[in-house]
Amino acid sequence: MSERNVRIESKVGLHARPAALFVQTAAKAPGDVTVAKPGGQPVNAKSILAVLGLDARHGEEIVITADFDGADALLAELEALLSTPEPENA
Amino acid sequence: MTRVLSPVGGRVVGLAGVPDPVFAQAMVGPGTAVDPAREPGRAIAPVSGKIVKMHPHAYVVVDDEGHGVLVHLGIDTVQLKGEGFELLAAEGDRVTAGQPLVAWDPAAVEAGGRSPICAVVALDAPAEALSDVVEAGSVVQGAELFVWS
Repeated sequence: MSERNVRIESKVGLHARPAALFVQTAAKAPGDVTVAKPGGQPVNAKSILAVLGLDARHGEEIVITADFDGADALLAELEALLSTPEPENA
Repeated sequence: MTRVLSPVGGRVVGLAGVPDPVFAQAMVGPGTAVDPAREPGRAIAPVSGKIVKMHPHAYVVVDDEGHGVLVHLGIDTVQLKGEGFELLAAEGDRVTAGQPLVAWDPAAVEAGGRSPICAVVALDAPAEALSDVVEAGSVVQGAELFVWS
């Protein structure tokens, strides 16, 4: 089981655009990927409904967990997405 | 089966007509989009169900079948931080299709340099799950935009 804590740098938080990219990336995984607020209930990172419902805001930390071969690479990719602020007009 | 209603009246442009690649490429999900009439209005719930997410510029209603529909009022409207949007319902509320949820003015959004086009998206749905998707033509508020089975 691999786990990472990531701070959300997107100004709008984990919402429509960043959330769609996040879920699309997670959906490639061959196994389960979950995302949670620290101490909170993990939700399915492959579900846009679940991720939008998590309502993770700018500056908040979330915990991403995955459990399959190659999980570390996927988590690194997801972390890169979340820790990159979008361009001002994105 | 979920009948998804148009949250606003206007001209249907399809997702491809949304000036945002994430919506236009259906990355958020399949659906359609409406270029709203340029007059103050009240965007309605596209389905009956529970409001699981309520932002001034966007909301998600999940029906009893678990189908979640996202309505995004305008593009990059998150940057307005709620200015010009009045919430008429709260997160967690149970609402009926057609119930007004947000009062706003598409003309004001446009005057601020943003597109007021409204994306109506089926969340976690494969494109095949949608049928009778309206992609063009004029639409009145509350008319059916697509069916989700």
